[in-house]
Amino acid sequence: MIKAPRRTGLVFFPAFDWAISPTHPEREERLLYTQDQIMEEGILDIDGIEEYRVRPATFEDIRRVHFCIPNEEAVTTKSHLISAGGCMVAADAVLTGEVESAFALVRPPGHHARTVVLGNRGFCNINIEAVMIEYIREKYGINRIAIVDTDCHHGDGTQDIYWHDPDTLFISIHQDGSTLYPGSGFPDEDGGPNARGSTVNIPLPPRTGEKGFLFVLDELVMPILDKFKPELIINSAGQDNHFNDPITNMNFSARGYAALTSRLRPDLAVLEGGYAVENALPYVNLGIILAMAGLDTSFVKEPNYDRDYQEQPETITRYIEDLVRDLKDRFLKDHKMPYLKSGQIISRTKEIYYDTDGIQESQNERIRSCHDCAGLLSIESRSSLGLHTMAIRIPIRACDACQKMGSLWYSKALKNSFDYVYLQNRVQNTYEVF
Amino acid sequence: MILGLDVGGTHTDTVLIDNNEILAVNKIPTESNLVQTLKTAINQAISDVDPFQIERLVFSTTMATNAIIQNQLVETGMIISAGPGIDPHLFAVGPAYSLVEGSLDHQGIETWPLNKKDILFAAGQIKNKGIKTIGIVSKFSVHNPIHEIQIKKWVTKEFQHIFLGHSVSGSLNFPRRITTTYLNAALSKMHNEFTAALTKILDEKGCHAPKFILKPDGGTVELSKSNLFPARTAQSGPAASVMGALALDKCKGTTLALDIGGTTTDMAVIVDGVPLRTPFGIRLGNFHTLIRSLMTHSIGLGGDSEIKVNKNGIFKIGPLRKGRPVALGGKVPTPTDAMITLDLLNIGSKTAAIKAMSILGASIDLDAKSTAEHVMLEMGNAIAQSVKSFVNYINSRPVYTIKEVFYEQKIEPERLVIIGGPASQLAKYIGESLNLPYEVPAHAEMANAIGAALARVTTEITLQADTRRGTVIIPEACFSKAIDPAFDMDDAVRLASSTIREQALKFGADPEEIEFSVVEKQNFNMIRNYSRVGQNIRLKLCINPGLLPEWKRNF
Ligand SMILES: [Zn+2]
Ligand SMILES: [Zn+2]
Repeated sequence: MIKAPRRTGLVFFPAFDWAISPTHPEREERLLYTQDQIMEEGILDIDGIEEYRVRPATFEDIRRVHFCIPNEEAVTTKSHLISAGGCMVAADAVLTGEVESAFALVRPPGHHARTVVLGNRGFCNINIEAVMIEYIREKYGINRIAIVDTDCHHGDGTQDIYWHDPDTLFISIHQDGSTLYPGSGFPDEDGGPNARGSTVNIPLPPRTGEKGFLFVLDELVMPILDKFKPELIINSAGQDNHFNDPITNMNFSARGYAALTSRLRPDLAVLEGGYAVENALPYVNLGIILAMAGLDTSFVKEPNYDRDYQEQPETITRYIEDLVRDLKDRFLKDHKMPYLKSGQIISRTKEIYYDTDGIQESQNERIRSCHDCAGLLSIESRSSLGLHTMAIRIPIRACDACQKMGSLWYSKALKNSFDYVYLQNRVQNTYEVF
Repeated sequence: MILGLDVGGTHTDTVLIDNNEILAVNKIPTESNLVQTLKTAINQAISDVDPFQIERLVFSTTMATNAIIQNQLVETGMIISAGPGIDPHLFAVGPAYSLVEGSLDHQGIETWPLNKKDILFAAGQIKNKGIKTIGIVSKFSVHNPIHEIQIKKWVTKEFQHIFLGHSVSGSLNFPRRITTTYLNAALSKMHNEFTAALTKILDEKGCHAPKFILKPDGGTVELSKSNLFPARTAQSGPAASVMGALALDKCKGTTLALDIGGTTTDMAVIVDGVPLRTPFGIRLGNFHTLIRSLMTHSIGLGGDSEIKVNKNGIFKIGPLRKGRPVALGGKVPTPTDAMITLDLLNIGSKTAAIKAMSILGASIDLDAKSTAEHVMLEMGNAIAQSVKSFVNYINSRPVYTIKEVFYEQKIEPERLVIIGGPASQLAKYIGESLNLPYEVPAHAEMANAIGAALARVTTEITLQADTRRGTVIIPEACFSKAIDPAFDMDDAVRLASSTIREQALKFGADPEEIEFSVVEKQNFNMIRNYSRVGQNIRLKLCINPGLLPEWKRNF
């Protein structure tokens, strides 16, 4: 019997009875062939690989991350709760020490879901990584966490949720936003005033291949992680960078994903996108599982690899070398940050489109500049649904000043004519809706 | 009249059943020569019976299990085609394991053709070693058996016996398909000799009634048909006792069946008369197989287990057995000695038993009776703990649909049925520890032979249809056919139903006892570029383990 050098947990939830709509790519069939491949390989017979049963997340778990407008019932389905809950099961397996790493192979995905949720964006309603991370913080008291998002699309939802959090390093490697949904994720998006440098965007040109991805990982991502010193590394393991993917233009491969996984050595990996359900997902997922378990991946290869895989052109290699040089300069050298006095309120506005549900939203976000915590946050939202709401977050480990200010903002908001006012108080672990 | 025979590690039990009555039971020690043991057991069992009156004979034997554990397997070659995935060299088994070119993908589509020259070369190498039996397995052959069938055609003249991977099971699991095919092939010579010897014994006695062998899934197969899949007859013992519990008790609701023996205690869950089965297959020695079995759990705790006590007064029973109880001439104290001390059992030397208990209790200042009482309580608790973790294990199996996560009922045993030698003595202690009502049915000590006698034929089939490719396949029946795009679930159910019937009849089922259930039924729309291009239909039917209809009817 094969023995895994690294004990690895697997949470598999293909949601065989759920689809966004009858012919949507996020469909029942999506993980069918992946399941077939995993079963046929006998993965679950490997000594050291443990499969876990999913459990649904609760609304309480969701409320540590999101403001669902008008409420959780309206924007989630049972499948979203199980997908997020599956990630929490994986986290439990790792943090109780039963396994050294775990992979949540669940659907639907979540990395386009932002702090405020009005509906479905980019196939996502609930940010499953964020729900998992805040569960980990609440239950296991772990603070410094890094997310490396290797989905082909910019993880704009995760970026939004952790924009102001200096304890969460968010690194997204994706196809350049000028060529793909959601159109964001440029290097100058590097975090809010209290968390500058904890958001790292690495936009890669179309047709980037194995060489480019692994170069970025070795030269940039690993050094940034070394500098940040996270207690946990989480991989948002989207698989749409694959050369067979129908909705993107990258040139990555199963062996490339396997190599990336064994070098990154994430504690937790979570499946995100990836829609080449027949000729990418079965092989990529197999590669990731074997790599996490420390097993040989040299026989993992798409049947059409020799025929269809193309090395990236020399021009792209040079482009990426230049990009990495710039980003090293930006993130690995210490820069003098503009000084902001504690207590200063900084605001920004955002226009958000929910492509699946056709909802348009305008947000006005305010953050309290703070030297002692992640800072008090408020998001005022108006949407084409006709709802006008105010959401206030007192972050985990908020300082006294931010907590006091939070109560003040809340009572002020109650006097205004919002349809709903939400207060997420992570210090007291409460969530109030008015 | 039905003869049931169960070969156990220490005893071989026989029972004669007629008209819903247990006419006679007999127990003999199991000898090392299996055929000799069977001969003696049959002779004694039917000494007073007219052989013509016997209508059915069922055997639960240890032939295959012993052959595997004692490594008496015939030299068997394997021809394997794999494709991308885990390094197929890691699944090597037997003295001649040959990897050849060719592969199919997860949907059974050929992605690398076979190479005849390469295959003939591999076959030649195996043949040069003097090997006459081979197994042929390709990855994903259950989604398309074409490569296995083609290889067989090319090498068929070179070998005496050829076993194909797709016929052993419809389940996906390439490494297990390799080992299961290997075991069937490697056991075939011995198994044929064994069935021939058994048939000869019965012919000499004048017994010409249909003969069956029990399988680990609690079902039977006709003796002559068992030669197709010899490994399916291994490890039937635990299934025999579960079927026995089912025969002796109605097993209504959710019942936990416990079989307490000398060395081990086995447990299983029966839901509304149907025992739960494992999703994959049994482990035989070091081999993980695709052979279905009942979901049973065995712990090293029985009437003859060794008892130790530490200075804190904590009793530890099992997992070892060190010979017979003290009352029967053994050296270490056992739960049997405790039962004798408490007058729950009247065998052997009571004085010796009491002495063993007082020595055991001396270091913690307990007299013989209190020590014995402690032992019984501890044994009840230990079994109860194992029952709880077994049930917990069953309830934590992964599920893949929203329906199962939110609406599936958890397994919660409502009652206990306890069988085996010390069942009646221990039932009270286990029942109290679990706070569940318990039943110790009459003939509990012969349940295994009774279970074997009354078990019906089981089988299962797996159908996979892909309307885009235009194929439907039932690997267990070696069936494949072209279909048109309109083929749907109704067609699938019709096809599968008639196939499982044929399959059951082939394995010796009585046409009137065929009663199958749907284990898995899934229909996936195949979506490419926002439009539907086909249906992927999956259906698994099985004949659940159950009792002969005449027994049920008059129960
Ligand atoms: Zn994506
Ligand atoms: Zn603060």
